[in-house]
Amino acid sequence: MGDLAALIVQQSLNGVYLGCLYVMVALGLTLIYGVLNQINFAHADFVTVGAFTAFFAATRLATKVLGVPDTAAYLLSIVAAFGMGALLGLAVNAAVFAPLRERGDELRPLIATIGVSVLLENAQLALFGPIPYQFDSPFARETIRIGRIFFTGQSVLVVGVSALAIGALYAFLRFTFLGKALRAVAQDRETAGLMGINPGLLIGLTIVIASALAGMAGAMLGPVIVLSPFAGASVIVKAFAIVIIGGFGNLQGTIIAGIFVGVIEAFTVQYLGSGLIDLVVFVLLLAMLVVRPTGLIAERKEENV
Amino acid sequence: MRRAAWLLGAAALIGALPWLITTPYWRGILVLCAMNVLLALALNLVIGYTGQLNLGQSAFFAIGAYASTILIKSYGWNFWLASFAAVLGAGFLGLALAAFAVRLRGHYLAIASLGFAVITYQVLVNWERVTEGVRGIYGIAPPVRDTVALFYLVAAIALIVYFVLDNLVRSPVGDTLRAIREDEISAAALGVNSALWKAFAFGVGAAIAGLAGCFYPGFVGTLVPDAFNIVESFTMMAMVIVGGMGTMVGPVIGAVVLTFLPELLRGFGELRLMIYGIALTLVVLFMPGGMVQAWTALRARWR
Repeated sequence: MGDLAALIVQQSLNGVYLGCLYVMVALGLTLIYGVLNQINFAHADFVTVGAFTAFFAATRLATKVLGVPDTAAYLLSIVAAFGMGALLGLAVNAAVFAPLRERGDELRPLIATIGVSVLLENAQLALFGPIPYQFDSPFARETIRIGRIFFTGQSVLVVGVSALAIGALYAFLRFTFLGKALRAVAQDRETAGLMGINPGLLIGLTIVIASALAGMAGAMLGPVIVLSPFAGASVIVKAFAIVIIGGFGNLQGTIIAGIFVGVIEAFTVQYLGSGLIDLVVFVLLLAMLVVRPTGLIAERKEENV
Repeated sequence: MRRAAWLLGAAALIGALPWLITTPYWRGILVLCAMNVLLALALNLVIGYTGQLNLGQSAFFAIGAYASTILIKSYGWNFWLASFAAVLGAGFLGLALAAFAVRLRGHYLAIASLGFAVITYQVLVNWERVTEGVRGIYGIAPPVRDTVALFYLVAAIALIVYFVLDNLVRSPVGDTLRAIREDEISAAALGVNSALWKAFAFGVGAAIAGLAGCFYPGFVGTLVPDAFNIVESFTMMAMVIVGGMGTMVGPVIGAVVLTFLPELLRGFGELRLMIYGIALTLVVLFMPGGMVQAWTALRARWR
């Protein structure tokens, strides 16, 4: 294999790994949009809270108190972050989305969640301080080598967990009664309500699932990004770009777009420098919107989720 | 007559404020407040009257600030000429964003405009040869001699802008913009060229935000990209919503409240911004029409 080919394969794999992380963040956004037609701006802070939860669960609770080995501790911390995300989802649904749902406008929940975001960000700033934490994943130390291609255990773990989460989400939406009911609510809330489905309950469930995914994404992002109270903000703008490129509310679109953006980012870092990532992603986004105003993968109004 | 009386009252209040507030710190907050009023008025034209979800307003504020400062510092232009050019530049970039608004709706436009702000911010960080990047531009002189004069200047401009916009939204142009906000398709059926009027709203909104930006560097003395983070767009949006969008007085009240609230909360230290966040959420939850509507409802109940 030539140098260039090896480089391209290597960066593509790095891109898929990054892309999976972004997909985990963006899926929640697109899920909420698909079912409620709302944007949750506090989603970024759910990611940060997830990352901090995982950090303390892994470094304090699991290894020190429970005395489990650090690999198991990290896996446990992902579960803990998932749970913490779910709790935040419950809270934001009860505080913002449920009370504002009846009024049916797109602006007010958006501003209300900006308020939630300011609250969460500054609560974390008060608790953890502005200095970044060093969150080491034990899996990042393992390096796997195939020919001239290298990857870390962490990337295998992230891709594996992401695939598992996406698979579980699909199975839930396709095969379970609740999942079918959720799709019915996404298609037509009023009619679903007439069929004996409780839309409020399913909307709450959607937000809980979306937020749990954000928390889990935080646990996996923690070792990659600079872990500070502002960590989520650096990822969320990209997640928004991904959601738009994939077509708002379109799950397959979001997954494809997430990996696409991850790969673009990997090659941007290789050839242009890491300072230009956001610039490249958003210029591509705007260019794409000129050509296809409803996203690269067109929005399907009938069955989004 | 009543409007003239209100305007005179506002002018008298502006004239009296620096006499009532005498500490340099709070006089500085007054200048900031006047700038925020300008920014909120600009955004309200786009969101409140035309119904276009624009999250990229911080970009125009940034362009006004950077363009005027660079023209003054690197090319030796005088403040007024540089500001005029910067306002024009911001206005034209507003037209560029309007090109997206013509094709995109609702949340798509929100994210596209957010992307516009992200790109602007990234250009400010990365184009170091011109903007000095994160190092920032230092030692920027204010256009007038002291804080009080700067306050009078910005407040007078805000008052003029308010007066002009107030007349604009009462004119047939205002009806046209509201028609686009309420139902774009029906408006088009009545012969409204919605692309043209959206471009108008975005252009004027961007130019006013750029105008506010011209005064910012001289006030702070330094210019760094972080002052124009996308969070700034959210703050402007919050001012419009908290005050009451789609009304003229609302954004002014929102700007005043959200400028002074964080300052008044300084005694709470770290809790300050947490309280701010909670307050913002509560206002949206319990005053859906903003403070103006809450006030009208309260008055109706009293009668």
